[in-house]
Amino acid sequence: MLLAVLQGVSELFPVSSLGHTVLLPALFGWRIDRSDPTFLAFVVALHLGTALALLVFYRADWARIAGGLTRSVVRGRIGEDPDERLGWLLVAGTIPLALVGVFLEEPVKRLFGSATLVAGFLILNAFVMFSGERLKRAKSGDIALGALPYPSGVGVGFSQALALLPGISRSGSSIVTGLLVGLDHEDAARFSFLLATPAIGAASVLEIPRLFAPAAHGVLIESLVGGVVAAVTAYASVTFLTRYFRTNDLRPFGWYCLVFGSVCLVLALTKVIA
Amino acid sequence: MKIVALVVALICFALAVGYGSGTVQFAAHTPGPHVKHAVVFAVLGVVALVWMRFQSGASAPSAR
Repeated sequence: MLLAVLQGVSELFPVSSLGHTVLLPALFGWRIDRSDPTFLAFVVALHLGTALALLVFYRADWARIAGGLTRSVVRGRIGEDPDERLGWLLVAGTIPLALVGVFLEEPVKRLFGSATLVAGFLILNAFVMFSGERLKRAKSGDIALGALPYPSGVGVGFSQALALLPGISRSGSSIVTGLLVGLDHEDAARFSFLLATPAIGAASVLEIPRLFAPAAHGVLIESLVGGVVAAVTAYASVTFLTRYFRTNDLRPFGWYCLVFGSVCLVLALTKVIA
Repeated sequence: MKIVALVVALICFALAVGYGSGTVQFAAHTPGPHVKHAVVFAVLGVVALVWMRFQSGASAPSAR
């Protein structure tokens, strides 16, 4: 249940869920075999729950976006409707992550599994957020999400791929890039969460067979309960974060990553954690 | 651009079939079929076809 809550919260908060799934078990001495079929099935259920929560939270947006995409394909051109533009921005932003994900996920996972590196990336994540906020304050004027140029949408999509490095947050890097291309905090967060839905959803749907693998039958109920817990926690997280970013910025999350990453780095370097 | 979009779509579909059947192993880390790669390239092929359709729409006379 703790893992399910951790997934639901850290997947959407800009603090790196992947980094936390490496560092927290190391800190608390949880013995997790990441290649065990039962654990993989559990992780698939947690991701499905998170994607479902995002889909439900943004259901009205997705309905309009689907309508906009359909209209533009039928018409044969993208009109001025913000939902059509947003739909194609999401498609353009998802392509880079899909390509980078399928080709680089496995080698990156093998290279960056140690607590020392993950803690280092978490500190880097903090400085990415601090720098993003500083650069944003130096810029004047915001552009609306519906008016975002396509290259900027692709750039935000590319920035999500940085989250393959455990310790770098997907939402953190995409919100920072959104701010740098001219969005305000609220729109940058909204675009990041909308981009997260196909990213998390597609990745977990493709892994559904793991959930029903013979070796995972013993934990099917636990996986489903975990998925529901992750969904409820993710829904609460996205509700909180969309309100939070109306008036606040990324710096508190940056301070959290800096402090937690520094503590873990010291503990890893002094061999207190593996 | 229509031709480019069509070529991109055909390459994507060919790669989807290749990865799905296990005959294409480029940048794959385990032997055998790669469903994820196949699905991604199939979706990219569809996106390229939509891009081709948009090229047709852009060159058509306006309905207004």
